Amino acid sequence: MSVKNISITPGWEKYMTKEYQDLVERGPYGKQKKVSEMGSFKEVLEEHPMCAGCAMTLFIRLTMVGLPNPEHTVLIGTAGCGRLALTQTSIPFIYGNYGDTNAVASGLKRGLEVRFKDQAKDVVVMAGDGGLADIGFSAVMHSWFRKERFTTIMLDNEVYGNTGGQESGMTERGALLKMAPKGKMFEKMDMMGLAQTAGVAYIARLTPTNPTRVASVVRKAVMIAREVGPTFIQAYTSCNIEYAIPTPKVLDDAREIEAKRYGFTEIISDEAKAYLDSIDTSKKVKK
Amino acid sequence: MYLVAHIDQAICSETACRLCTQYCPEANTILYDNAAKTAFVAVDRCKGCEICVGICDDLAKHHAIKMVMITDLENQFEMSKEGFRPDHWNGKHS
Repeated sequence: MSVKNISITPGWEKYMTKEYQDLVERGPYGKQKKVSEMGSFKEVLEEHPMCAGCAMTLFIRLTMVGLPNPEHTVLIGTAGCGRLALTQTSIPFIYGNYGDTNAVASGLKRGLEVRFKDQAKDVVVMAGDGGLADIGFSAVMHSWFRKERFTTIMLDNEVYGNTGGQESGMTERGALLKMAPKGKMFEKMDMMGLAQTAGVAYIARLTPTNPTRVASVVRKAVMIAREVGPTFIQAYTSCNIEYAIPTPKVLDDAREIEAKRYGFTEIISDEAKAYLDSIDTSKKVKK
Repeated sequence: MYLVAHIDQAICSETACRLCTQYCPEANTILYDNAAKTAFVAVDRCKGCEICVGICDDLAKHHAIKMVMITDLENQFEMSKEGFRPDHWNGKHS
C-alpha cells in the first residue's frame, strides 16, 4: 500500500466515510509525525473495541505514531487482545494462526524484498506474550536464528487476557490469576536473554510510561530491521481486567512495575549502532 | 448515564503541556486545538477510564480535567458528527 493507493478517485469523495476522507487528507502519511503533535493530526488507528483504560491500547497507539512509514508497513498479529486494535488501523494486517506469526512474517518480508526492490517495506509482528513466548515460541526463535529482517513486538500483559486469565510463560512467579488460583509456580521467561543468545540486532524492554520513548524505540527497531537484522521489543502492557487494576491507576501501576522490575533496557549490536549513526549523519548532511 | 472527561479550557490554555493527548489510550479522543491553544475531548470516543485525570493532576499538576456526566455538557464535540477538521475548531467546543 502507498499513499497513492489510499487516495480517493476524484468524484467519489462523497461516497467515502468521513473517517476515510480525514485519513487521506489529514493523516500522517509521507510526514513523520511526533508524539508532541498527537491530537492535531488524524491517526492511523481508529476507534476500537479494546477495554477502557487499557495500557496495551496506549502502547499500540504510540507504536503507530512511531512507525517510520505506516504506508509501507504490514502488521502481523494473532489471536489475543492486541489484534482488536491492530485490525482498526489503516495498515494492512495479517491474522496469523496462533504459533506461526513469525514464520508468516519471514516469508512475507522475503517476498516483499523481491517484489519491491526500490521501496523498503517494513514488516512488524505485534502479538501478546502468549502468542510469542508460548504458542509461537519456536517460530519466534527460528526467525531470530535465521536473522530475518523484521520487528517483533511483544505486548507483554503477563496473562492470557482474552480467554479468562490463564498464566503464560511471561507471568511472574507467584501471580494469582483466575485460572492460576495457587499462583504461578515457575519463573517468568527471560525473552531478552533468549533474544541476545539468538543474536537479535536490537532488543528493548520498556513500559508505556514515556510516550516519546515508546515512539523512538519503535522507530529505531523498524529502521534497524530494514537493514541490519531482527529486532525485538518487549513492552509491559498491563491487563487491568485480569490483574484488577482500577483504570485511573493503570499508569501508576506501569510506573511502579517499571521501577520495581521492568525498567527500560536497550541492547544494541555494534552493526545496528553503526547503522543508526549513519542514518543520523545523513540527515544532518541533508539539512 | 455515564461520565466522560471534560477539560477546563481556561486552565488548559494557560499551559502547553499536551500530556493528556499523549497518554489517552484512545486514538483522536483528546484533541488539541492549536488556534485556541487548548485540549478538548471528543465525547463520543471517550470510554471514561480517567487516565487523563491522573495525568493532569499528578504529572502535569494543572488539575484541568474532571469527569462529568455526559448529560451535563453543553456544546460538546462529537467526532462521528463533525469528523477530524482542525481548521474548523477555533475554540468553538467546550
